[in-house]
Amino acid sequence: MTTIEAAAQAVRDTGGELRAGGTDVMSRAAGTPVDLLGIPGLRGTEWRPDGSARIGALTPIADVLADDRLAAAYPALAATAAAIATPQIRNVATVGGNLLQRNRCWYLRHPAFTCHQTGGDSCPARDGAHLYSAVVDQGPCIAPHPSSLAVALLAYAATADVHGRSPLGIAELYGDGADPTRDHLLDPGEILQAVLMPAPTPGERAAYRRATAREMAEWPLVEAVARLTLDGDTVTSAAVAAGGIARTPLLLPEVAGALVGKPATEETLTAAADLAAARCNPLPNNAYKVALLRATLIDTLTACSSPG
Amino acid sequence: MEFGLNGKLVDVGVEPEETVADVLRDRMGLTGTKVACGTGVCGTCTVLVDGRSAASCLLPAGAAADREITTVEGLGGDHPVQRAFAAHDALQCGYCTPGFVVEAAAFVDRWRAEHGTAEPSREQIAEALAGHLCRCGAYAGIYAAVAAACAGEHDEGHDGGTVTPPRVEALSKITGAAKYTADVVLEGQLEGVIVRSPHPHAKVGGIRFDGPVAEMLPPDRVVRYVGQPVAAVAAPTRAEALAAAARVEVEYTVLPAVLSPDDETPVYPTKESREWAPRANEGPLASAKWNGNVRGPAAMSWRGGTAGKRIEKARDDDAQTLVEATYTTGVQAHTCMEPHGCVARWEGEELHLHLSTQAVTRVAAQAVKRWKLRPEQVHIVAEHVGGGFGSKVNVTSDVVAAVELSRLHGAPVRVVLSRPEELVDGGTRPGVRIELALLADADGKLSAFTMDAHGDSGVSIGSNAAWHSRFFYGNAPRRIRDYDHVTNRAPGIPFRGPGLPPMLWALEQGVDEMALRRGEDPIELRRRWDGNAKRHALYDRAAALPMWRDRTDPGDGRIRRGVGVAAANYMYFLDPGTKVSLTVEQGAVVARIATQDIGTGSRSVIAEVVRSALDLRSGQVRVELGNSDHAYGPTSASSCSTPSIAPAAQDAADRLRKALGARSLEDAEGLHVVGRRPRDRRGYVTPFPLDHFAIGRGFSGAVVVTEVEVDTLLGRIRPTRVWSGVTAGHVYAPRLARNQCEGGVIQGIGYALYEQRHDDPATGTVLTANLEDYRIPGIADTPEIDVYFHTEGWDHVPGRGIGLGEVCTMAVAASIGNAVRHATGRRPHDLPIRPDLLLEGIGA
Repeated sequence: MTTIEAAAQAVRDTGGELRAGGTDVMSRAAGTPVDLLGIPGLRGTEWRPDGSARIGALTPIADVLADDRLAAAYPALAATAAAIATPQIRNVATVGGNLLQRNRCWYLRHPAFTCHQTGGDSCPARDGAHLYSAVVDQGPCIAPHPSSLAVALLAYAATADVHGRSPLGIAELYGDGADPTRDHLLDPGEILQAVLMPAPTPGERAAYRRATAREMAEWPLVEAVARLTLDGDTVTSAAVAAGGIARTPLLLPEVAGALVGKPATEETLTAAADLAAARCNPLPNNAYKVALLRATLIDTLTACSSPG
Repeated sequence: MEFGLNGKLVDVGVEPEETVADVLRDRMGLTGTKVACGTGVCGTCTVLVDGRSAASCLLPAGAAADREITTVEGLGGDHPVQRAFAAHDALQCGYCTPGFVVEAAAFVDRWRAEHGTAEPSREQIAEALAGHLCRCGAYAGIYAAVAAACAGEHDEGHDGGTVTPPRVEALSKITGAAKYTADVVLEGQLEGVIVRSPHPHAKVGGIRFDGPVAEMLPPDRVVRYVGQPVAAVAAPTRAEALAAAARVEVEYTVLPAVLSPDDETPVYPTKESREWAPRANEGPLASAKWNGNVRGPAAMSWRGGTAGKRIEKARDDDAQTLVEATYTTGVQAHTCMEPHGCVARWEGEELHLHLSTQAVTRVAAQAVKRWKLRPEQVHIVAEHVGGGFGSKVNVTSDVVAAVELSRLHGAPVRVVLSRPEELVDGGTRPGVRIELALLADADGKLSAFTMDAHGDSGVSIGSNAAWHSRFFYGNAPRRIRDYDHVTNRAPGIPFRGPGLPPMLWALEQGVDEMALRRGEDPIELRRRWDGNAKRHALYDRAAALPMWRDRTDPGDGRIRRGVGVAAANYMYFLDPGTKVSLTVEQGAVVARIATQDIGTGSRSVIAEVVRSALDLRSGQVRVELGNSDHAYGPTSASSCSTPSIAPAAQDAADRLRKALGARSLEDAEGLHVVGRRPRDRRGYVTPFPLDHFAIGRGFSGAVVVTEVEVDTLLGRIRPTRVWSGVTAGHVYAPRLARNQCEGGVIQGIGYALYEQRHDDPATGTVLTANLEDYRIPGIADTPEIDVYFHTEGWDHVPGRGIGLGEVCTMAVAASIGNAVRHATGRRPHDLPIRPDLLLEGIGA
């Protein structure tokens, strides 16, 4: 495709899935896709006079983490990008593709199973192998959302610039997770063009942490991004988001709220992290994720509030 | 579509569903680019697109338009990183090597442009190569090679120009020239695909298809696990074959499936059907009774009644020195980077196979029997083999499908398993639950132990874990019982040191616990209990290691460091029938043998023995193996290769030297001798070989000391340093042996920390059927590894050296368990020690 209008039309006409880098689409039998790569103007980062940034949806993830100006302004975005997949995937996979990819549930990706996501009326993971499933119960499907970048973008209060509709917040891109068939709420023909990063607040800090078994090249069990502004020791603003725990990436306002106005001490951070557990409703074999969410939040908040 | 390919402009028509990997391999014939997972995880298919690395198996062919693609062939063989890989032996089986080389070349070029000849850190190298998996575990060599290439040590002119690599076939693997079975394309070749059972247990009725179909069922036509082969079909392309397979109609009568211990339906209802049960062990099966779906006990006790009584009494007395616990292990998949694959071709009644195998002679003999042929009618070629680890020693489903389909179609047929097929049906190490009770007497001597091992080997029998404990720690009474719990799950098969890693996971942690209970140094206690002089030499070394000597209180911080030790031994196997032929051809000596090199270095061992015996230059010896028509050679299993082939090669060289007399090679064209494997002094434990294997006198040994860092907040365990002491006598090819031992450590780390097959509990369907859900160690998970060889004590063996490929991996998991116990104060009992289990264990 050479224009975004043509791509949108092709999706509406053929029902084909949009394909950017293809690292997700090619790993599934996804029918005949509609290619976005030839469309100009969707790749690269553009800086606005107000200090905000517009990151094109077709920008490879590798370009995000290698961009010094992005890393300086949005360090947790760069750290998140650096932790995703592997170098040869990051070279090809795009920002838009990461945000709008299908989830990695092993039942979804196994041809032998049907489930809520594929027109069935059950979730084989609930009664089956759910070691890695979501612990925040948002609806029938318990596949954790796969996008790490979305977690960072939530914390940075980014917005999505979508062809075919007005800009929307990242949280609106995903909704409440109640619809088991959707990893995002864009309709066919609506095409993500860019994400808009608000100008950073002077002095803000941010951190990204993930829990995994292996050192690298692994989907996180739990991941979190924190973004704090401090006045001396006192937290003056906070945004905290987490992934790997729910059908959608999640902002955790209760955790952020418990930080604001308090000194960034170990006690404060731990008490705030403790609050996230109230959202969780784990299954028999994944209760560890509740503890790991707390631990990851403590790790992230500690990294975020430590000097240097 | 036009694109640049290794500096030339090419123009090919592509289909929308094709990938760049398809185009390179199938249309351009550039088979250096391998496809091992098909989902962008393993990195074997890595190419450069305008200088940036990409996984070509996920790259739509159209994405190459107007771009410049560089494959391993395009590097030319002379890139400093290629020379470095050869010099540092940064490879074993070689299947992942092209991908590593391409990525490393891009990294080194970028690094040199930005940093000159500064050496990158291990972390920087790991980050660059994080998208590549090497199942052999050649990561230590890869670190060294990349660092040296960055430092400029392998620039043109800096390394003497021509490096003689320690591995004789290194160059062909590093340039992508080495052909594996999956790369073979014969005239008129068809692609075969196996139709597999979607049911865990079913009786198969009719099979209908609009063309030739090869049935692959057992005699009772009952399938016993999801993924069991049912039939196979072939077509000109893989896509067409997959479509054909989807058209095959199979009538199933579904039977109740056995997926938990309470299910009562018999998996094997008749005595006859039990004979078909696959085996998870090597060698003959110990006899045992069946009770429903449980087979056992297969007993290997020594004064078992006494052992039971002593343990019982100690339990009643609440004895301080009775150490009891239950240990479990996960099901581990072999995960060879090259999947099982076979290209079969009938020429009249002659059967020709290209095969990814550990056993050209054994599989040839099985094929003779199965297809009712004469031995001289079967010809198997296995020039390069991308790993085996025990999974490629028999006529496997790929062979059956290819041979049958080739006969039906009258054309060559290639069958290569996909990664999902490989992870379901390619083989696993059974999961085991071990109940261990270990008792010391008042003097701290081993008084008795009891070990009951319950194998979860799916439809297989012979998990035989406890069996091996007979040969540990002297002759104190011991009750040893093995049970197989048969279910409708994919089969367990032999895997590198079958039975021992799970057995040692239990025993070596039990011994460690005893030492803690007694307040004794764990090495000291082993030295007292273990009478083996060769392992004593390793204990002395281990006890003197700064890592061991200076281990400190791990404290109660977030990151805690612990050090653990564990030991192993393994029987000495050999194939006494091994022969090596030597022929003088055009001024060189050509060694031929019907064995294979699965990455373990048999080519290099033979080349070095012959070269040094005849005082030749390295270019004057050529080794041709992987051909069943050559002089009889061993299966690459049970660590029997080196002690079989090296003495036979030495004998052949001695004969050639005598036959040559004063003549030069140039004057002796066509001179031909056959060497045999001389007998060991004092003979063997087995009076005659069983299935070609003899058991020699003495045990190889290993002692492993591992340091870990435990992140008690996020539950991650990171092995930081490993010392691996191995006693296997003379080491014929030191760099290659070290590489294999380093790989054994890395596979042990995978077993201990990451690897676990997960099944759907309702159907037994394997869910970890890809390399992102089935997790093997990457380069970043590799600790600094120090391998030490104790080379004495094997004077009764010609050549004074035996095999070490298995003993080096067995104790690694237990050493990690003991290190975690030291670091956290809590002993892990279940493998793999996932973050959730670690956190649960320490009560976080």
